[in-house]
Amino acid sequence: MTERISVQIEMNQSWRYASGAAMERFADGLRQKRIEALRCGGCGRRYLPPRPVCGNCHLHLSEWVPVADQGVVEAWTVVYLPFLDGRTGEIRKGPYGMALIRLDGADTTLNHYLAEADPTRLAVGLRARAVWRDELRGAIDDIRHFEVMR
Amino acid sequence: MRPDIVVAGIGETTPVPADSRSIPEMVLEAVEAALADAGIGHRDLDAVTTASVDMFDGITASNIAVTEVVGAVMKPEARISADGLTAVAHAACQIWSGAYETVLVAAHAKTSIAPHRDLTQWALDPIHVQPLGVDFLTCAGLQARLLADRDPGAERRWAEIAAKRRGGAMSPDRILASPLVASPLRLGMCAVPGDGASAVVLRAKKKGIGGPILAGIGYDLEPHALGDRDLTRWSGLERALDRAGKTAGFEGRRPHFDLAEPSCLFPHEEELFVAAADLDEMTEISPDGGLLAGYIPIVAGLSRMTSATRYFRRNRKAGALALVHGTWGPAAQGQVVAILGGAAS
Amino acid sequence: MRPAAIIGTGQTDHAKSRDDVSQPELVREAASRALADAGLRPSEVDAIIIGNMEMFEGRALPELWVGEGGFANRKPCLKIATGGTSGTSSCIAGFHQAASGVFDIVLVVGFEKHSEGQTQTGMALTDPFWDRGVASGALGNFALSISQYMAERGVTPEQAARVAVKSRRNAAKNPHAHLKDANATVADVLASKVLAHPVRLMDMCPQSDGAAAIVVASAERAKKLCSRPAWVKAATTRHEQPYIGDIDRRLLSMRTLRDASRSVYATAGIREPLKQLDVAEIYEPVTYAELAWYEILGFCSEGQAGRLIEDGVTEIGGELPVNPSGGVLCANPVGATGVIRVAEAASQILGRAGAHQIEGAKTALVTGYGVYAWADAMILGSEP
Repeated sequence: MTERISVQIEMNQSWRYASGAAMERFADGLRQKRIEALRCGGCGRRYLPPRPVCGNCHLHLSEWVPVADQGVVEAWTVVYLPFLDGRTGEIRKGPYGMALIRLDGADTTLNHYLAEADPTRLAVGLRARAVWRDELRGAIDDIRHFEVMR
Repeated sequence: MRPDIVVAGIGETTPVPADSRSIPEMVLEAVEAALADAGIGHRDLDAVTTASVDMFDGITASNIAVTEVVGAVMKPEARISADGLTAVAHAACQIWSGAYETVLVAAHAKTSIAPHRDLTQWALDPIHVQPLGVDFLTCAGLQARLLADRDPGAERRWAEIAAKRRGGAMSPDRILASPLVASPLRLGMCAVPGDGASAVVLRAKKKGIGGPILAGIGYDLEPHALGDRDLTRWSGLERALDRAGKTAGFEGRRPHFDLAEPSCLFPHEEELFVAAADLDEMTEISPDGGLLAGYIPIVAGLSRMTSATRYFRRNRKAGALALVHGTWGPAAQGQVVAILGGAAS
Repeated sequence: MRPAAIIGTGQTDHAKSRDDVSQPELVREAASRALADAGLRPSEVDAIIIGNMEMFEGRALPELWVGEGGFANRKPCLKIATGGTSGTSSCIAGFHQAASGVFDIVLVVGFEKHSEGQTQTGMALTDPFWDRGVASGALGNFALSISQYMAERGVTPEQAARVAVKSRRNAAKNPHAHLKDANATVADVLASKVLAHPVRLMDMCPQSDGAAAIVVASAERAKKLCSRPAWVKAATTRHEQPYIGDIDRRLLSMRTLRDASRSVYATAGIREPLKQLDVAEIYEPVTYAELAWYEILGFCSEGQAGRLIEDGVTEIGGELPVNPSGGVLCANPVGATGVIRVAEAASQILGRAGAHQIEGAKTALVTGYGVYAWADAMILGSEP
């Protein structure tokens, strides 16, 4: 039986991504625990995260509206499989809760962690509020996770 | 009968070494300019074809970053990861097939976000070539070495071509004195990479829709291993040009081109281009300067198309033809051409 | 679109790891099988399209290296890729090219060699400012969507498990399938470990190494070369907004798939999908998705998907067999998966589907799914 040859190549690559003007303002807001959405002047949809145009109307977005740091759990899960955190490069071990949360004042949902890993205690329709970190850097993980309001 | 295709609108960002905007912001500028130039809105688009490379953008499924700004929400979008002129070639097939009538083509890249040379290594045969640290510049150097060794006057000529393409900013002597980067290629002979986006609106010709006609398209992939290729010529371009000529109806003969807009990243490539395209002295080559002073991978061929379109708008000469060209891969392994015909009435 | 048809298909035997071949060799395996199926020599191919999500293997411009495997040397060759829909969008690009009058014979090859890369790393390279920090891959996305689907439509894990059972049992008749089990049961599925609530191991598609290819011909050549081509009756694509939170109620309403399927139904004259379609190869990355898509694709009304599978309507032998090949749940080399759907549907119409042939199949639906709710849909038929 012939031995299989394999060539190992390690990738150590980094990219410096530009955030864009709207995301810069959004990130600044996070440093002050302030969440905002951009409202489309055409369809009225309030977008998180911010982006240059409403994809449906193709209108430039410029109207900032305030968004609460709490809202409704529209979707949830508890993840048991370990996953690579794309920002830190670390492996996040389960179980951990995750949800799509429609914050009060926004029309899109925010994908974030839930501090609840028991599926029998989770359901669509629960309300959840953000738990912020002590140190704020201007990134979406300035919110450590959301806790279910019971 | 295939419908005639008109280049109805063009738009692009000004190429810069580093664009501080996000990719969606950058592409939006090019797209809005092209739509405005074509006199249409995003609702008039039947489909979008985009060009981007995940490894260059550092994003898997990199076209997701531009879906909203190119107007592809709830629309068909096809994404090609090669020079943007291939997206034009594909959009042309889409229109000729009857599937769509109005297609937006957009291409983008930002070389400032990561060392571009390093990224090109990941395109090379990972078993025999990549482990040696070879990148696209190395391959260009190997081809240039092959040409220089059999032609003692080559390096001086290349310095002169490069000086001309840099608009006189560097003299041939200064270019020959600039550091070697991949012998015999010197820093002054290499196109300066940057950031940018270009967009073009292609439309099936109908009453009221004007612009140069996209008469023919052709593309080719040479073998990957440099040793499998004849590096003294761009035979891939010869084949691509034959195919484009065929789709344009020039069976067997090479027409006279009034204008050529090649994608040449080094002066030796310009000589390879002229030889393969069999151009005569009457053809104007890159009156806008070409890519040496600044180029954006993936965007390059599409930006040659916008340059050629501007030429047609300046020079309304009946029967004029332009040869537009793009490349991708090591030593231009991939070649793509479009033949544009004079303004449609 | 002018007529074009699929006249041959080929696939590798998909597996967890194909360390017996390099990426170009994997491509060559599928490409040569498709050409043999079509009765063509490589020199007769006018253009090649490669479908591949190369970030999963840590590559750039993969067609440069693997194109040779697809007989692309000195030929026109492009790489077209759009996430999970790469395979279906490559095929649609092939249809456009073959119908354009520029090319008569187009070879489309999709492939993925997950074992040669780090798929999780590739999946992690999403939007750097938003989704990247919180995402838990495709699994997390599906699990979230499923919670909405279950809450609103009442589908149960047992009903979802039936999809997995159907897939495994169908795959036992498919020599190319990666995962197969002629004796799979609902109990097996429900006993498999939970990956992300409520998705269990056996609810989820695998990662496979594999390649698939189709040969698309212009109308004239198809008629000359093939006695029973699989004609492209309609094909379209819909893309979506870029963030996971943009997409309302993804499995429940998935406007992209709904609109794409309505569009191809209208073009192909399909008013009653259950009656008029003979077979469907849909891109189901997770069991619950297949149920949700029975509803979105009009096979049944909202809330009835569980009943549909319980009644055996979508089994081989039922009124509308869905994924007689075993589907994505039995083999998932991402760049190839969409091509496999097209190849399987085409081989049904070509009459070459072997042990999982649906007798007399004349009209097939194919769908593709990718990223966050990108959708492709197409109808293949036995008549031009």
